[in-house]
Amino acid sequence: MNAIIYKEWIKTRRFVLLLGVLFAALITYIFLWSGQMMEASGAVIIWETIIGKDMRLVGYIKYLPPAAGILLAIVQFAPEMQSKRLKLTLHLPVNEGKMMCGMLGYGFTVLLALFSLSCAILMLGLSVRYAHEIVMANFWVSLPWFAGGLFTYLLGSWTCLEPVWKQRIFNAVTAACLVATLYTDQMSGAYATYLPYMLALLAVCFFFSLYSTARFKDGVQ
Amino acid sequence: MAIIQCENITHYYGNRLIYKNISFEVKRGKILGLLGKNGTGKTTIINILTGYLKPRSGVCRILGEEMEHLSPAAKSRIGLLLEGHIQHSYFNIEQIEKFYSQFFPNWKREAYYELLKKLQVAPTQKISTMSCGQRSQIALGLLFAQDPELLILDDFSMGLDPGYRRLFVEYLREYTTAENKTVFLTSHIIQDMELLIDDCIVMDYGRLLLHEPTARITKNFRRFRFQATATPPQTPVLWNTEKVGHTWETYSFAPAEEVRRELTSAGGEVSRFVEEKLSLEDAFIGLTGKY
Repeated sequence: MNAIIYKEWIKTRRFVLLLGVLFAALITYIFLWSGQMMEASGAVIIWETIIGKDMRLVGYIKYLPPAAGILLAIVQFAPEMQSKRLKLTLHLPVNEGKMMCGMLGYGFTVLLALFSLSCAILMLGLSVRYAHEIVMANFWVSLPWFAGGLFTYLLGSWTCLEPVWKQRIFNAVTAACLVATLYTDQMSGAYATYLPYMLALLAVCFFFSLYSTARFKDGVQ
Repeated sequence: MAIIQCENITHYYGNRLIYKNISFEVKRGKILGLLGKNGTGKTTIINILTGYLKPRSGVCRILGEEMEHLSPAAKSRIGLLLEGHIQHSYFNIEQIEKFYSQFFPNWKREAYYELLKKLQVAPTQKISTMSCGQRSQIALGLLFAQDPELLILDDFSMGLDPGYRRLFVEYLREYTTAENKTVFLTSHIIQDMELLIDDCIVMDYGRLLLHEPTARITKNFRRFRFQATATPPQTPVLWNTEKVGHTWETYSFAPAEEVRRELTSAGGEVSRFVEEKLSLEDAFIGLTGKY
Protein backbone atom coordinates (compact mmCIF):
# COMPACT_ATOMS: atom_id res chain seq x y z
CA MET A 1 0.00 0.00 0.00
CA ASN A 2 2.93 2.32 0.74
CA ALA A 3 4.14 1.88 -2.83
CA ILE A 4 0.72 2.83 -4.21
CA ILE A 5 0.62 5.95 -2.03
CA TYR A 6 4.19 6.76 -3.11
CA LYS A 7 3.21 6.51 -6.79
CA GLU A 8 0.10 8.65 -6.38
CA TRP A 9 2.02 11.23 -4.36
CA ILE A 10 4.76 11.53 -7.02
CA LYS A 11 2.07 11.90 -9.68
CA THR A 12 -0.05 14.47 -7.88
CA ARG A 13 2.22 16.28 -5.40
CA ARG A 14 2.56 19.50 -7.39
CA PHE A 15 -1.18 19.69 -7.93
CA VAL A 16 -1.93 18.89 -4.28
CA LEU A 17 0.46 21.67 -3.18
CA LEU A 18 -1.21 24.03 -5.65
CA LEU A 19 -4.61 23.13 -4.19
CA GLY A 20 -3.26 23.86 -0.70
CA VAL A 21 -2.08 27.28 -1.84
CA LEU A 22 -5.41 28.04 -3.57
CA PHE A 23 -7.49 27.10 -0.54
CA ALA A 24 -5.17 29.07 1.77
CA ALA A 25 -5.41 32.12 -0.51
CA LEU A 26 -9.21 31.94 -0.72
CA ILE A 27 -9.65 31.45 3.02
CA THR A 28 -7.35 34.44 3.65
CA TYR A 29 -9.42 36.47 1.20
CA ILE A 30 -12.68 35.48 2.96
CA PHE A 31 -11.23 36.60 6.31
CA LEU A 32 -9.98 39.90 4.87
CA TRP A 33 -13.26 40.55 3.05
CA SER A 34 -15.49 39.75 6.05
CA GLY A 35 -13.22 41.81 8.32
CA GLN A 36 -13.26 44.76 5.95
CA MET A 37 -17.05 44.53 5.61
CA MET A 38 -17.41 44.63 9.36
CA GLU A 39 -15.11 47.66 9.54
CA ALA A 40 -16.90 49.49 6.72
CA SER A 41 -20.56 48.79 7.51
CA GLY A 42 -20.47 48.10 11.22
CA ALA A 43 -21.37 44.94 13.11
CA VAL A 44 -25.10 45.65 13.44
CA ILE A 45 -25.77 45.95 9.70
CA ILE A 46 -23.62 42.93 8.87
CA TRP A 47 -25.25 40.75 11.52
CA GLU A 48 -28.66 41.88 10.35
CA THR A 49 -27.85 41.07 6.74
CA ILE A 50 -26.45 37.67 7.65
CA ILE A 51 -29.42 36.68 9.77
CA GLY A 52 -32.19 38.47 7.88
CA LYS A 53 -31.09 37.90 4.31
CA ASP A 54 -29.21 34.63 4.84
CA MET A 55 -25.92 36.12 3.56
CA ARG A 56 -23.15 33.50 3.21
CA LEU A 57 -19.74 34.49 4.52
CA VAL A 58 -18.12 31.44 2.92
CA GLY A 59 -19.80 31.90 -0.49
CA TYR A 60 -16.54 32.52 -2.33
CA ILE A 61 -15.38 28.96 -1.66
CA LYS A 62 -18.50 27.39 -3.22
CA TYR A 63 -17.02 26.12 -6.51
CA LEU A 64 -13.44 25.46 -5.39
CA PRO A 65 -14.06 22.01 -3.82
CA PRO A 66 -15.82 20.56 -6.91
CA ALA A 67 -13.12 22.01 -9.16
CA ALA A 68 -10.45 20.50 -6.89
CA GLY A 69 -12.19 17.12 -6.95
CA ILE A 70 -12.54 16.88 -10.69
CA LEU A 71 -9.03 18.17 -11.38
CA LEU A 72 -7.46 15.74 -8.89
CA ALA A 73 -9.32 12.88 -10.60
CA ILE A 74 -7.91 14.02 -13.96
CA VAL A 75 -4.36 14.52 -12.62
CA GLN A 76 -4.47 11.09 -11.03
CA PHE A 77 -6.20 8.99 -13.66
CA ALA A 78 -5.64 10.67 -17.04
CA PRO A 79 -1.94 9.56 -17.08
CA GLU A 80 -3.12 6.01 -16.28
CA MET A 81 -5.49 5.97 -19.23
CA GLN A 82 -3.02 7.67 -21.59
CA SER A 83 -1.41 4.90 -23.69
CA LYS A 84 -3.32 2.45 -21.44
CA ARG A 85 -0.71 2.73 -18.68
CA LEU A 86 -3.27 1.32 -16.29
CA LYS A 87 -2.24 -2.09 -17.64
CA LEU A 88 1.15 -1.62 -15.96
CA THR A 89 -0.52 -0.71 -12.69
CA LEU A 90 -2.97 -3.62 -12.81
CA HIS A 91 -0.21 -6.03 -13.77
CA LEU A 92 1.59 -5.39 -10.45
CA PRO A 93 1.39 -8.35 -8.07
CA VAL A 94 -1.40 -6.93 -5.94
CA ASN A 95 -5.11 -7.72 -6.01
CA GLU A 96 -6.62 -5.41 -8.64
CA GLY A 97 -9.50 -4.28 -6.41
CA LYS A 98 -7.09 -3.47 -3.61
CA MET A 99 -4.88 -1.53 -6.04
CA MET A 100 -7.77 0.61 -7.30
CA CYS A 101 -9.16 1.14 -3.78
CA GLY A 102 -5.67 2.24 -2.74
CA MET A 103 -5.46 4.78 -5.57
CA LEU A 104 -8.97 6.11 -4.97
CA GLY A 105 -8.43 6.06 -1.22
CA TYR A 106 -5.34 8.24 -1.64
CA GLY A 107 -7.19 10.92 -3.61
CA PHE A 108 -10.24 10.77 -1.37
CA THR A 109 -8.10 11.10 1.77
CA VAL A 110 -6.12 14.02 0.33
CA LEU A 111 -9.33 15.90 -0.48
CA LEU A 112 -11.01 14.98 2.78
CA ALA A 113 -7.97 16.26 4.72
CA LEU A 114 -7.81 19.45 2.66
CA PHE A 115 -11.55 20.11 2.95
CA SER A 116 -11.67 19.31 6.67
CA LEU A 117 -8.71 21.57 7.38
CA SER A 118 -10.11 24.38 5.25
CA CYS A 119 -13.54 24.07 6.86
CA ALA A 120 -12.04 23.99 10.37
CA ILE A 121 -9.87 27.07 9.69
CA LEU A 122 -12.82 28.93 8.16
CA MET A 123 -15.12 28.20 11.08
CA LEU A 124 -12.46 28.98 13.69
CA GLY A 125 -11.61 32.23 11.93
CA LEU A 126 -15.25 33.28 11.63
CA SER A 127 -15.93 32.46 15.27
CA VAL A 128 -13.58 35.30 16.27
CA ARG A 129 -16.06 37.93 15.00
CA TYR A 130 -19.38 36.10 14.65
CA ALA A 131 -21.80 34.34 16.94
CA HIS A 132 -21.84 30.56 17.17
CA GLU A 133 -25.20 30.39 15.32
CA ILE A 134 -23.83 32.34 12.36
CA VAL A 135 -20.70 30.19 12.21
CA MET A 136 -22.77 27.00 12.34
CA ALA A 137 -25.12 28.31 9.62
CA ASN A 138 -22.09 28.88 7.40
CA PHE A 139 -20.81 25.41 8.27
CA TRP A 140 -24.07 23.78 7.19
CA VAL A 141 -24.21 25.81 4.02
CA SER A 142 -20.63 24.91 3.05
CA LEU A 143 -20.96 21.22 3.90
CA PRO A 144 -22.68 20.18 0.63
CA TRP A 145 -20.10 22.23 -1.31
CA PHE A 146 -17.25 20.32 0.28
CA ALA A 147 -19.15 17.05 -0.15
CA GLY A 148 -19.57 18.08 -3.79
CA GLY A 149 -15.76 18.06 -4.08
CA LEU A 150 -15.66 14.46 -2.91
CA PHE A 151 -18.45 13.57 -5.34
CA THR A 152 -16.70 15.24 -8.29
CA TYR A 153 -13.52 13.34 -7.39
CA LEU A 154 -15.22 9.94 -7.29
CA LEU A 155 -17.44 10.59 -10.30
CA GLY A 156 -14.55 12.20 -12.18
CA SER A 157 -12.44 9.09 -11.53
CA TRP A 158 -15.31 6.93 -12.74
CA THR A 159 -15.43 8.99 -15.94
CA CYS A 160 -11.64 9.05 -16.48
CA LEU A 161 -11.30 5.31 -15.97
CA GLU A 162 -14.11 4.48 -18.38
CA PRO A 163 -12.51 3.02 -21.54
CA VAL A 164 -15.27 3.90 -24.05
CA TRP A 165 -15.75 7.56 -25.08
CA LYS A 166 -19.54 7.33 -25.53
CA GLN A 167 -19.94 5.82 -22.09
CA ARG A 168 -17.49 8.41 -20.73
CA ILE A 169 -19.73 11.22 -21.97
CA PHE A 170 -22.73 9.52 -20.39
CA ASN A 171 -20.81 9.21 -17.11
CA ALA A 172 -19.78 12.88 -17.23
CA VAL A 173 -23.37 14.05 -17.85
CA THR A 174 -24.71 11.80 -15.07
CA ALA A 175 -22.00 13.10 -12.73
CA ALA A 176 -22.80 16.73 -13.59
CA CYS A 177 -26.52 16.22 -12.92
CA LEU A 178 -25.84 14.50 -9.60
CA VAL A 179 -23.35 17.11 -8.39
CA ALA A 180 -25.59 20.00 -9.51
CA THR A 181 -28.14 18.96 -6.87
CA LEU A 182 -25.61 19.99 -4.21
CA TYR A 183 -25.24 23.52 -5.56
CA THR A 184 -28.81 24.82 -5.67
CA ASP A 185 -29.27 28.07 -3.70
CA GLN A 186 -31.16 26.71 -0.73
CA MET A 187 -31.52 28.28 2.69
CA SER A 188 -28.70 27.57 5.13
CA GLY A 189 -29.12 24.10 6.61
CA ALA A 190 -31.53 22.98 3.88
CA TYR A 191 -29.27 20.01 3.11
CA ALA A 192 -29.06 18.85 6.73
CA THR A 193 -31.68 16.10 6.31
CA TYR A 194 -30.11 15.07 3.01
CA LEU A 195 -26.73 14.43 4.70
CA PRO A 196 -27.10 10.71 5.58
CA TYR A 197 -28.25 9.96 2.01
CA MET A 198 -25.31 12.00 0.70
CA LEU A 199 -22.88 9.87 2.72
CA ALA A 200 -24.52 6.65 1.51
CA LEU A 201 -24.31 7.92 -2.08
CA LEU A 202 -20.64 8.79 -1.62
CA ALA A 203 -19.95 5.23 -0.48
CA VAL A 204 -21.75 3.89 -3.58
CA CYS A 205 -19.85 6.28 -5.89
CA PHE A 206 -16.57 4.86 -4.58
CA PHE A 207 -17.37 1.59 -6.34
CA PHE A 208 -18.31 3.14 -9.70
CA SER A 209 -14.61 3.41 -10.60
CA LEU A 210 -14.14 -0.28 -9.91
CA TYR A 211 -16.83 -0.97 -12.51
CA SER A 212 -14.98 1.21 -15.07
CA THR A 213 -11.75 -0.63 -14.22
CA ALA A 214 -13.45 -3.98 -14.77
CA ARG A 215 -14.61 -2.75 -18.21
CA PHE A 216 -11.05 -1.63 -18.99
CA LYS A 217 -9.77 -5.03 -17.89
CA ASP A 218 -12.23 -6.83 -20.18
CA GLY A 219 -10.97 -4.72 -23.11
CA VAL A 220 -14.38 -3.15 -23.78
CA GLN A 221 -14.04 -0.83 -26.78
CA MET B 1 6.02 -28.10 -19.59
CA ALA B 2 3.95 -25.37 -21.28
CA ILE B 3 4.21 -21.92 -19.72
CA ILE B 4 1.53 -20.52 -22.03
CA GLN B 5 -1.43 -22.50 -23.32
CA CYS B 6 -4.13 -21.03 -25.52
CA GLU B 7 -7.07 -23.18 -26.56
CA ASN B 8 -9.61 -22.40 -29.25
CA ILE B 9 -9.41 -18.63 -28.99
CA THR B 10 -12.03 -16.86 -31.09
CA HIS B 11 -12.31 -13.11 -31.06
CA TYR B 12 -14.23 -10.44 -32.94
CA TYR B 13 -14.06 -6.63 -32.87
CA GLY B 14 -17.69 -5.84 -33.53
CA ASN B 15 -18.56 -8.08 -36.48
CA ARG B 16 -14.95 -8.29 -37.73
CA LEU B 17 -13.40 -11.69 -37.12
CA ILE B 18 -9.89 -11.46 -35.68
CA TYR B 19 -9.28 -15.18 -35.04
CA LYS B 20 -11.28 -18.35 -35.10
CA ASN B 21 -10.33 -21.26 -32.87
CA ILE B 22 -6.62 -20.64 -32.66
CA SER B 23 -4.60 -22.78 -30.27
CA PHE B 24 -0.92 -22.80 -29.40
CA GLU B 25 1.42 -23.31 -26.52
CA VAL B 26 4.84 -22.07 -25.48
CA LYS B 27 7.24 -24.40 -23.69
CA ARG B 28 9.42 -23.31 -20.79
CA GLY B 29 12.76 -21.84 -21.83
CA LYS B 30 11.65 -20.98 -25.37
CA ILE B 31 11.71 -17.58 -27.02
CA LEU B 32 8.66 -17.37 -29.22
CA GLY B 33 8.06 -14.60 -31.73
CA LEU B 34 4.61 -13.73 -32.97
CA LEU B 35 4.80 -12.47 -36.54
CA GLY B 36 2.00 -11.03 -38.57
CA LYS B 37 1.10 -8.15 -40.82
CA ASN B 38 -0.49 -5.04 -39.41
CA GLY B 39 -3.99 -5.76 -38.20
CA THR B 40 -3.64 -9.52 -37.85
CA GLY B 41 -4.09 -9.23 -34.10
CA LYS B 42 -0.64 -9.57 -32.55
CA THR B 43 -1.35 -7.03 -29.81
CA THR B 44 -4.80 -8.58 -29.41
CA ILE B 45 -3.16 -11.90 -28.54
CA ILE B 46 -0.90 -10.15 -25.99
CA ASN B 47 -3.94 -8.42 -24.50
CA ILE B 48 -5.83 -11.71 -24.25
CA LEU B 49 -2.80 -13.44 -22.74
CA THR B 50 -2.29 -10.80 -20.08
CA GLY B 51 -5.99 -10.66 -19.23
CA TYR B 52 -6.72 -7.23 -20.72
CA LEU B 53 -9.15 -8.48 -23.31
CA LYS B 54 -11.89 -11.04 -22.95
CA PRO B 55 -12.06 -13.21 -26.09
CA ARG B 56 -15.44 -14.21 -27.49
CA SER B 57 -14.56 -17.80 -26.61
CA GLY B 58 -11.62 -19.97 -25.63
CA VAL B 59 -9.18 -19.90 -22.79
CA CYS B 60 -5.52 -19.03 -22.22
CA ARG B 61 -3.50 -20.19 -19.25
CA ILE B 62 -0.25 -18.63 -18.14
CA LEU B 63 1.82 -20.52 -15.58
CA GLY B 64 -1.21 -22.76 -15.15
CA GLU B 65 -3.65 -19.94 -14.29
CA GLU B 66 -6.48 -18.63 -16.45
CA MET B 67 -5.60 -15.28 -17.97
CA GLU B 68 -8.61 -13.41 -16.60
CA HIS B 69 -7.88 -14.36 -13.02
CA LEU B 70 -4.12 -14.23 -12.68
CA SER B 71 -3.15 -14.28 -9.01
CA PRO B 72 -0.67 -11.69 -7.66
CA ALA B 73 1.83 -14.57 -7.25
CA ALA B 74 1.54 -15.44 -10.95
CA LYS B 75 1.78 -11.77 -11.98
CA SER B 76 5.03 -11.41 -10.05
CA ARG B 77 6.46 -14.18 -12.29
CA ILE B 78 5.46 -12.41 -15.51
CA GLY B 79 7.32 -9.38 -16.88
CA LEU B 80 5.24 -7.20 -19.19
CA LEU B 81 6.53 -4.70 -21.73
CA LEU B 82 3.87 -2.58 -23.40
CA GLU B 83 4.03 -1.40 -27.01
CA GLY B 84 6.23 1.72 -27.29
CA HIS B 85 8.04 1.01 -23.98
CA ILE B 86 5.29 2.79 -22.10
CA GLN B 87 6.18 3.47 -18.49
CA HIS B 88 4.95 5.62 -15.63
CA SER B 89 6.53 8.73 -17.11
CA TYR B 90 5.96 10.99 -14.07
CA PHE B 91 8.68 9.08 -12.21
CA ASN B 92 12.39 9.73 -12.55
CA ILE B 93 14.97 6.94 -12.85
CA GLU B 94 15.42 6.46 -9.11
CA GLN B 95 11.77 6.83 -8.22
CA ILE B 96 10.55 4.18 -10.65
CA GLU B 97 13.08 1.68 -9.32
CA LYS B 98 12.04 2.47 -5.74
CA PHE B 99 8.38 2.05 -6.70
CA TYR B 100 8.70 -1.32 -8.46
CA SER B 101 11.16 -2.76 -5.92
CA GLN B 102 8.44 -2.71 -3.25
CA PHE B 103 6.33 -5.24 -5.14
CA PHE B 104 8.93 -7.92 -5.82
CA PRO B 105 10.68 -9.72 -2.97
CA ASN B 106 13.54 -10.91 -5.21
CA TRP B 107 14.14 -7.50 -6.75
CA LYS B 108 17.65 -7.19 -8.27
CA ARG B 109 18.44 -3.52 -7.89
CA GLU B 110 21.96 -3.91 -9.26
CA ALA B 111 20.65 -5.42 -12.53
CA TYR B 112 18.65 -2.22 -13.15
CA TYR B 113 21.49 0.18 -12.36
CA GLU B 114 24.04 -1.94 -14.25
CA LEU B 115 22.02 -1.53 -17.44
CA LEU B 116 21.46 2.18 -16.87
CA LYS B 117 25.17 2.91 -16.40
CA LYS B 118 25.47 3.02 -20.18
CA LEU B 119 22.79 5.70 -20.52
CA GLN B 120 23.97 9.27 -20.36
CA VAL B 121 21.24 10.29 -17.94
CA ALA B 122 21.12 11.63 -14.39
CA PRO B 123 19.35 9.47 -11.77
CA THR B 124 16.90 12.30 -11.22
CA GLN B 125 15.97 12.64 -14.89
CA LYS B 126 12.26 12.23 -15.49
CA ILE B 127 11.19 9.41 -17.78
CA SER B 128 8.89 11.76 -19.68
CA THR B 129 11.95 13.71 -20.89
CA MET B 130 13.72 10.62 -22.26
CA SER B 131 13.91 9.36 -25.81
CA CYS B 132 12.15 6.13 -26.75
CA GLY B 133 15.56 4.41 -26.87
CA GLN B 134 16.39 5.49 -23.34
CA ARG B 135 12.94 4.43 -22.15
CA SER B 136 13.53 1.01 -23.70
CA GLN B 137 16.59 0.60 -21.50
CA ILE B 138 14.61 1.65 -18.43
CA ALA B 139 11.92 -0.88 -19.29
CA LEU B 140 14.49 -3.62 -19.88
CA GLY B 141 16.34 -2.73 -16.66
CA LEU B 142 13.09 -3.00 -14.69
CA LEU B 143 12.35 -6.38 -16.28
CA PHE B 144 15.84 -7.67 -15.43
CA ALA B 145 15.49 -6.43 -11.85
CA GLN B 146 12.08 -8.11 -11.53
CA ASP B 147 13.69 -11.30 -12.82
CA PRO B 148 10.43 -12.92 -14.03
CA GLU B 149 10.13 -16.46 -15.39
CA LEU B 150 8.13 -15.29 -18.38
CA LEU B 151 8.59 -12.08 -20.35
CA ILE B 152 5.81 -10.80 -22.59
CA LEU B 153 7.08 -8.07 -24.89
CA ASP B 154 4.68 -6.25 -27.19
CA ASP B 155 6.40 -4.77 -30.25
CA PHE B 156 9.68 -4.17 -28.46
CA SER B 157 11.31 -2.56 -31.50
CA MET B 158 8.66 0.13 -31.92
CA GLY B 159 10.23 3.60 -31.96
CA LEU B 160 13.81 2.36 -31.53
CA ASP B 161 16.66 3.31 -33.84
CA PRO B 162 18.87 0.44 -35.16
CA GLY B 163 21.47 0.93 -32.39
CA TYR B 164 18.98 0.70 -29.54
CA ARG B 165 17.18 -2.17 -31.26
CA ARG B 166 20.39 -4.15 -31.49
CA LEU B 167 21.29 -3.26 -27.90
CA PHE B 168 17.88 -4.40 -26.70
CA VAL B 169 18.08 -7.67 -28.62
CA GLU B 170 21.62 -8.45 -27.43
CA TYR B 171 20.86 -7.81 -23.77
CA LEU B 172 17.65 -9.77 -23.98
CA ARG B 173 19.30 -12.69 -25.75
CA GLU B 174 22.11 -12.84 -23.19
CA TYR B 175 19.72 -12.60 -20.26
CA THR B 176 17.18 -15.14 -21.45
CA THR B 177 19.79 -17.69 -22.49
CA ALA B 178 21.73 -17.43 -19.22
CA GLU B 179 18.65 -17.56 -17.01
CA ASN B 180 16.53 -20.06 -18.99
CA LYS B 181 13.66 -17.61 -19.33
CA THR B 182 10.59 -18.00 -21.48
CA VAL B 183 9.80 -15.08 -23.77
CA PHE B 184 6.72 -14.32 -25.83
CA LEU B 185 7.26 -11.32 -28.07
CA THR B 186 6.03 -9.43 -31.08
CA SER B 187 7.89 -7.02 -33.31
CA HIS B 188 7.24 -5.55 -36.70
CA ILE B 189 10.96 -5.64 -37.50
CA ILE B 190 11.65 -9.23 -38.36
CA GLN B 191 15.46 -8.96 -38.72
CA ASP B 192 15.57 -8.37 -34.95
CA MET B 193 13.45 -11.43 -34.29
CA GLU B 194 15.77 -13.62 -36.34
CA LEU B 195 18.59 -12.95 -33.87
CA LEU B 196 16.41 -13.80 -30.94
CA ILE B 197 13.63 -16.30 -31.35
CA ASP B 198 13.64 -20.09 -31.17
CA ASP B 199 10.11 -20.60 -32.45
CA CYS B 200 7.76 -18.45 -34.39
CA ILE B 201 4.04 -18.20 -34.91
CA VAL B 202 2.97 -16.56 -38.13
CA MET B 203 -0.48 -15.00 -38.04
CA ASP B 204 -2.68 -14.34 -41.02
CA TYR B 205 -6.01 -12.53 -41.00
CA GLY B 206 -8.32 -14.65 -38.86
CA ARG B 207 -6.02 -17.61 -38.37
CA LEU B 208 -2.70 -18.99 -37.27
CA LEU B 209 -0.73 -19.76 -40.40
CA LEU B 210 2.27 -21.54 -38.98
CA HIS B 211 3.91 -22.46 -35.68
CA GLU B 212 7.39 -23.82 -36.29
CA PRO B 213 10.96 -23.57 -34.97
CA THR B 214 12.66 -20.60 -36.62
CA ALA B 215 15.59 -22.79 -37.69
CA ARG B 216 13.23 -25.07 -39.62
CA ILE B 217 11.77 -22.12 -41.50
CA THR B 218 15.09 -20.51 -42.41
CA LYS B 219 16.62 -23.89 -43.31
CA ASN B 220 13.81 -25.40 -45.37
CA PHE B 221 11.64 -22.59 -46.66
CA ARG B 222 12.91 -21.42 -50.05
CA ARG B 223 12.02 -18.99 -52.80
CA PHE B 224 11.99 -20.30 -56.36
CA ARG B 225 12.20 -17.97 -59.34
CA PHE B 226 11.40 -19.29 -62.78
CA GLN B 227 9.86 -18.56 -66.13
CA ALA B 228 6.84 -20.56 -67.22
CA THR B 229 4.87 -21.03 -70.38
CA ALA B 230 1.61 -21.44 -68.43
CA THR B 231 0.25 -20.10 -65.18
CA PRO B 232 1.58 -22.37 -62.39
CA PRO B 233 -1.01 -24.46 -60.52
CA GLN B 234 -2.18 -23.59 -56.99
CA THR B 235 -1.17 -26.49 -54.75
CA PRO B 236 -0.68 -26.85 -50.98
CA VAL B 237 3.06 -27.26 -51.56
CA LEU B 238 3.46 -23.83 -53.18
CA TRP B 239 3.00 -20.61 -51.19
CA ASN B 240 2.08 -17.23 -52.69
CA THR B 241 2.96 -17.88 -56.31
CA GLU B 242 2.96 -14.63 -58.28
CA LYS B 243 4.40 -13.05 -61.40
CA VAL B 244 6.92 -10.24 -60.91
CA GLY B 245 7.67 -8.68 -64.32
CA HIS B 246 8.48 -11.56 -66.66
CA THR B 247 9.53 -13.89 -63.90
CA TRP B 248 7.40 -16.01 -61.61
CA GLU B 249 8.22 -16.60 -57.99
CA THR B 250 6.89 -19.07 -55.47
CA TYR B 251 7.83 -20.25 -51.99
CA SER B 252 7.90 -23.75 -50.58
CA PHE B 253 9.13 -26.03 -47.80
CA ALA B 254 9.50 -28.79 -50.37
CA PRO B 255 12.83 -29.64 -52.05
CA ALA B 256 13.58 -28.10 -55.45
CA GLU B 257 12.78 -31.28 -57.41
CA GLU B 258 9.35 -31.60 -55.88
CA VAL B 259 8.62 -27.91 -56.53
CA ARG B 260 9.64 -28.28 -60.16
CA ARG B 261 7.40 -31.34 -60.43
CA GLU B 262 4.46 -29.42 -58.94
CA LEU B 263 5.01 -26.50 -61.31
CA THR B 264 4.94 -28.69 -64.38
CA SER B 265 2.08 -30.88 -63.17
CA ALA B 266 -0.45 -28.74 -65.02
CA GLY B 267 1.37 -29.26 -68.31
CA GLY B 268 3.37 -26.04 -68.79
CA GLU B 269 7.15 -25.81 -69.14
CA VAL B 270 9.48 -24.22 -66.61
CA SER B 271 12.83 -22.60 -67.37
CA ARG B 272 15.51 -20.54 -65.57
CA PHE B 273 14.51 -22.30 -62.34
CA VAL B 274 16.51 -20.82 -59.43
CA GLU B 275 16.33 -21.76 -55.74
CA GLU B 276 17.13 -19.06 -53.13
CA LYS B 277 17.80 -19.26 -49.39
CA LEU B 278 15.77 -16.82 -47.32
CA SER B 279 16.15 -14.62 -44.30
CA LEU B 280 13.29 -14.80 -41.79
CA GLU B 281 11.90 -11.56 -43.20
CA ASP B 282 11.83 -12.96 -46.74
CA ALA B 283 10.32 -16.18 -45.43
CA PHE B 284 7.62 -14.13 -43.69
CA ILE B 285 6.80 -12.39 -46.97
CA GLY B 286 6.72 -15.79 -48.68
CA LEU B 287 4.32 -17.15 -46.10
CA THR B 288 1.96 -14.20 -45.85
CA GLY B 289 2.29 -12.52 -49.25
CA LYS B 290 3.27 -8.95 -49.97
CA TYR B 291 -0.16 -7.41 -49.66
